Amino acid sequence: MTPAERDDLIERATTAWRPRDLDGGLRAHPAFHDLDDDGRRALHEELELQRRLEALLDDDGLSTTARAVLRRIRG
Amino acid sequence: MAHRDLDEHLPAIAGGDADAFARWLAAAEAPLRRSLRTFAANVDTEAVLQESLLRVWQVAPRCEPDGRPNGLLRLAQRVARNLAIDALRRQRAAHVELLEGDLPTIEPQPVDEHVRDTLRRCRNKLPERPAQALDARLHDRELRNDRELASALDMQLNTFLQNITRARRLLAECLQRHGVQLKEVTT
Repeated sequence: MTPAERDDLIERATTAWRPRDLDGGLRAHPAFHDLDDDGRRALHEELELQRRLEALLDDDGLSTTARAVLRRIRG
Repeated sequence: MAHRDLDEHLPAIAGGDADAFARWLAAAEAPLRRSLRTFAANVDTEAVLQESLLRVWQVAPRCEPDGRPNGLLRLAQRVARNLAIDALRRQRAAHVELLEGDLPTIEPQPVDEHVRDTLRRCRNKLPERPAQALDARLHDRELRNDRELASALDMQLNTFLQNITRARRLLAECLQRHGVQLKEVTT
């Protein structure tokens, strides 16, 4: 895998969207499965950074992760 | 600076107040996410974190204060760790024993107003297309995936992702020009 391909997979998986299984539980992003261990660690670091940036940009201090959770709670 | 006790929101959360849960989430998410670093090579921490937060909302009415601050945050940490360990067990049980044990202390961090103000000024300087892509993710209220967001902006998925990447790079460069290092954002 080239660095560009790895970065592309990481970028895809930084969205807060996650597929659901038949029971409604959340599953890993499809791109996660194509990353090696280092790529997955890099994804986690990127998620930490991006969610903080999102929260800082949001008037309510909420990231896209928080918004996704609240969306499911509120229906 | 004294750390906040997020349990100030607990009575309202236990009573089913989703707005109170949102205020708790705003401060609790970052330390919870950091607590999952250990698992990052094996489980998708984003999926685990979201699932954990949904469960915390469900069990919050049964969270009893124990006299120490941030009881709900500590409960959430335990839920998240257990879900991550469950996911690990499904993959390779040999790893799990090393990861169980006492939980490290996690605490909410205060928001750095200087970083926030600088970031918002930088956001307002982004070119149109990167700004649109970034906003599409930030403000989507329908839990759409990137392909759907890209389509709504008349972009190909790859173009959308390139614009997200470009937006983040431009934000990082702008922050650095204003003396803010990215690592300051996450610590």
